[in-house]
Amino acid sequence: MIAKGDLTGINVSRKASGLKPTGEPIRVLIVDDSMFVTKQITQILSSEGFVIAATAADGKEGLDKYKELYPDIDLVTMDITMPNMDGVTALEKIMEFDKNAKVIMVSALGKQDLVKKSLLLGAKNYIVKPLDRVKVLERISSVLK
Amino acid sequence: MRVEYINPFVEAAFNTIKTVLGVDIVRGKLYLKDTSQPVLGVAVLVGLAGDVEGRVIFDMEKTTALKIASDMNGETLTEMDELVKATIMELANMITGTAVTRLQDLGFSFDLTPPVLFSGEKMELANTGVEALIVPVDLPQGRLEINVAIRERI
Repeated sequence: MIAKGDLTGINVSRKASGLKPTGEPIRVLIVDDSMFVTKQITQILSSEGFVIAATAADGKEGLDKYKELYPDIDLVTMDITMPNMDGVTALEKIMEFDKNAKVIMVSALGKQDLVKKSLLLGAKNYIVKPLDRVKVLERISSVLK
Repeated sequence: MRVEYINPFVEAAFNTIKTVLGVDIVRGKLYLKDTSQPVLGVAVLVGLAGDVEGRVIFDMEKTTALKIASDMNGETLTEMDELVKATIMELANMITGTAVTRLQDLGFSFDLTPPVLFSGEKMELANTGVEALIVPVDLPQGRLEINVAIRERI
């Protein structure tokens, strides 16, 4: 029988493995007001062994869930344009709460200024929609290094 | 309305649909509308405000919306539920975001409103003072009409 780790090593050398060196799954919080995007990210990450610890439909809910689940969130994917509280504000508040938080922004094209602002505020990287599976896993891999 | 406003939306629609759905689309003949016009059944509106102002509407029949959402999600969706609406709005978001980047590269500066989806039968759309240019595009899933009405802010 081939262990999951062996398969991962063969097939996805440049992609993110959803497991920590200890073998535990990496726990992700997805913050996005689009059910479609949440589902896409869930499918991509779940197939690599990540665990979706929680999802949130706006920045305020994302911030609340991050605080509630802290320190059991290893990675946050954060949409930029959302109702109630946008992703840049939520990022800023998460970084105030936990300066080591690993947040990756998810943006449509046309939001370069907000992406740059997010990176200055502490976001570790960004993903541009439409989501490409390989690119998503590469960006996440760079954040988890 | 200046044609340079239109082309970025058409190119963005072609490229985004090809990426997301993996299909080629065929562009129909452009036409202008300056009076009330019917909406096909499912319409997503994104507003623009800045150096230029106006709106873009992505208009399609319900069956087309269901087929597009089904293909984007990799499962058969038969009702206009929240997932279908979110999927169609996200497609409009992606196309508009790409088009806006191109328009910004041309020197225009403006913001977008979040997409709004309307669905229903026998709806009509009326413009005030801005002629609308409609770009029909044919996909294997059905016809999508990109309805653009943009003017420079006075």
